[in-house]
Amino acid sequence: MKKEVVAMLLAGGQGSRLYALTSQVAKPAVPFGGKYRIIDFPLSNCVNSGIDTVGVLTQYRPLELNSYIGSGQPWDLDRSDGGVHILPPYMREGDQGTWYKGTANAIYQNIGFLDLYDPEYVVILSGDHIYKMDYSDMVDFHKKTQAACTISVLEVTLEEATRFGIMNVDENDQVYEFEEKPKHPKSTLASMGIYVFSWKKLRQYLIDDEADPNSSNDFGKNIIPNMLAAGEKLMTYRFQGYWKDVGTINSLWDANMDMLAPNNGINLYDNSWPIYARTPVKPPHVTGPNAQVSHSLVTGGCRVDGVVENSVLFHSVTVEEGADIQYSILMPGAVVKKGAVVSYAIVAEGAVIEEEATVGAPPTDDPDWGIAVVAGGVTVGPKAVIKPSAMIREDVKGGEQA
Amino acid sequence: MNDLHGIVFACRSDANLGELTRPRNTCSLPFGGRYRLIDFMLSNYVNAGITDVGIIVHQSYQSLLDHVGSGKDWDLSRKHGGLRILPPFGYAERGGEYKGNMDALAGVAEYLENIRQDYVILAWGDMAVNLPVAEVFQQHLDSGADVTMVCTPTLKGAPRFSEYVEVDDTGRVTDLSVHPVAADKTLESLEVYILSKKLLLDMVDYCAAHDIYNFSRGVLQPRLKTLKLMSYVHKGYVARFQSVSGYFERSMDLLDPAVRDDLFNPDRPVRTKDRSNPSTYYGPEAKSNHSLVADGCRIEGEVENSIIFRGVTIEKGARVSNSVLMQGTVVKSGASLAYVIADKNVTVNQDRMLMGHFTYPLAIAKSSVV
Repeated sequence: MKKEVVAMLLAGGQGSRLYALTSQVAKPAVPFGGKYRIIDFPLSNCVNSGIDTVGVLTQYRPLELNSYIGSGQPWDLDRSDGGVHILPPYMREGDQGTWYKGTANAIYQNIGFLDLYDPEYVVILSGDHIYKMDYSDMVDFHKKTQAACTISVLEVTLEEATRFGIMNVDENDQVYEFEEKPKHPKSTLASMGIYVFSWKKLRQYLIDDEADPNSSNDFGKNIIPNMLAAGEKLMTYRFQGYWKDVGTINSLWDANMDMLAPNNGINLYDNSWPIYARTPVKPPHVTGPNAQVSHSLVTGGCRVDGVVENSVLFHSVTVEEGADIQYSILMPGAVVKKGAVVSYAIVAEGAVIEEEATVGAPPTDDPDWGIAVVAGGVTVGPKAVIKPSAMIREDVKGGEQA
Repeated sequence: MNDLHGIVFACRSDANLGELTRPRNTCSLPFGGRYRLIDFMLSNYVNAGITDVGIIVHQSYQSLLDHVGSGKDWDLSRKHGGLRILPPFGYAERGGEYKGNMDALAGVAEYLENIRQDYVILAWGDMAVNLPVAEVFQQHLDSGADVTMVCTPTLKGAPRFSEYVEVDDTGRVTDLSVHPVAADKTLESLEVYILSKKLLLDMVDYCAAHDIYNFSRGVLQPRLKTLKLMSYVHKGYVARFQSVSGYFERSMDLLDPAVRDDLFNPDRPVRTKDRSNPSTYYGPEAKSNHSLVADGCRIEGEVENSIIFRGVTIEKGARVSNSVLMQGTVVKSGASLAYVIADKNVTVNQDRMLMGHFTYPLAIAKSSVV
């Protein structure tokens, strides 16, 4: 059935800069904000924007992501026409077929999927950003300006601009130049990795790009520059509001802490733009007689009887009496036992911090200071000490330092 | 386990629950921070592998319909079978009041005839209990009983509204008393029954022909000798709701970890309508002790010994103790609540003081502004 707009969500990246957090799952499946996974944000944005057909392109460690998305029911994307579809790379006749070589190649390999819906416009999204955005406004803008491609941009500081793809635009916001991570940025309009393409145009560029053996088959490196060079109309769409790339340990920690700020610009309690999630069946959380919880997020199934300050607790976390949690993120099922201290740390799913262990420490002048990370399922033994910036992937015995 | 069909009676609004059941059927009474009472029996059925469930509704069932929807939160939204709401069409012709559970079944006789399964479980939807229905069914099959009824040794109901049974060494029911003045036996019936579809249809037919409305009085009591009526004793936690103070006490039971572990047994989770609430946010000056707090709340004041439902706001400087605040309650700064049951969407304005007593909690009607 024909659809005017189809969204394609690039969810195949490993997210290698999240290290231990993505050793078992793809980046879009990393837990975020107490109740969510990163992919909930673009998926919910799609539904709230009226886009009911979404392809999710997976490649790296897709199993958990696949089962998380399932039928798409939590996002109301279980449709009889359209809905959410997982799109892994696949084999073709004569042992043909490859992994997704790049972002553009991932879409190229799914031209057949898009042709099923014969859309006018394709929205390209990525699975590593936290933001709320009405894509339908961006598509309207794209239609009005009759662009071939519209790129969502965010105003950043000149300093930050060196880390982004920067759009240099004329007075009508039409792009005349694109620079990837420029040393001397000419503008401060950073690409957010969100594109609207007129499908017929994009389809042709993808086919041409695939035929070029020297191409790295990437939107930022190849498709956008090729379109510019060919004189296509590329527009920028200015986004204002909260947007954060959560591709590194620090930015993931930061963005979680942002959720605690009262005016963070991304009100999760706003019913007019809900962020949906697949949530496990858990009873309400319990605070014990000794609990001291302040400036924190706490989720269903938690048992808290210790001190929790400036922290984000996902579901089914246990914080025993006398444990102290400061500026930390405890992912689903994490257990912190009596007298343990967790500070400036990320404790991943199901990890256990035994009695009187110490994980992480408050910031110091030491240039090597950073957020400590304990990977999923790891046990940190009694009285063990995990230093700041540590990346713990294996069990640490009692009393040891790591 | 697909040979069992579930029926839930959701057709009484207990007048003794006062303000709490004015806007709703007892089955949709909120309980435990995020549930409605019907969630417990529906989850018991689903956790036992039951795929087809009929809910017999009668009066003020709008809030119940809104809650169960298509049944998808219990995985009962199915192409074949699944959840069926059974409104009282049967009564329309005859008019008058609903008179008892046999009368309710007679009203849906056609539905019963079309049941795909050979066995049926009947239960009221207004109890909080985590019942191993698969085990009850297995015992029913093993014992060769005509009817198996679930009983509890911990008497919970008010005698005037409860039924009690006497059993012999084999667990066979030898006597049944209905609504006595005082509890006169050691086992209380939970009025949960398993029987074959065939026997049920015979009974419904017999009752309709003889103007009998009540299952216990009209069918079980007269046939105690001829029917093999077996008891299944459920030792776990059971909460029944027959008065406002009882509702309050049962809510406070949940602050006992042993009760929570039994009722919220992770192997048989209690499912409910998903509201996509975010996590609960505690403010810098918040205090929360010995309380059960659901998702989606903003707590900036103090909470103690309380049950806080989804989406409750407690502003800075407000104090809530020994209270039950249902979904969407707002307690403004400086207000103080003790022994209060606030129904959905109640607003308590600044600096108000509301105080009930453990034996007489103050119930505030839905959507009131204090």
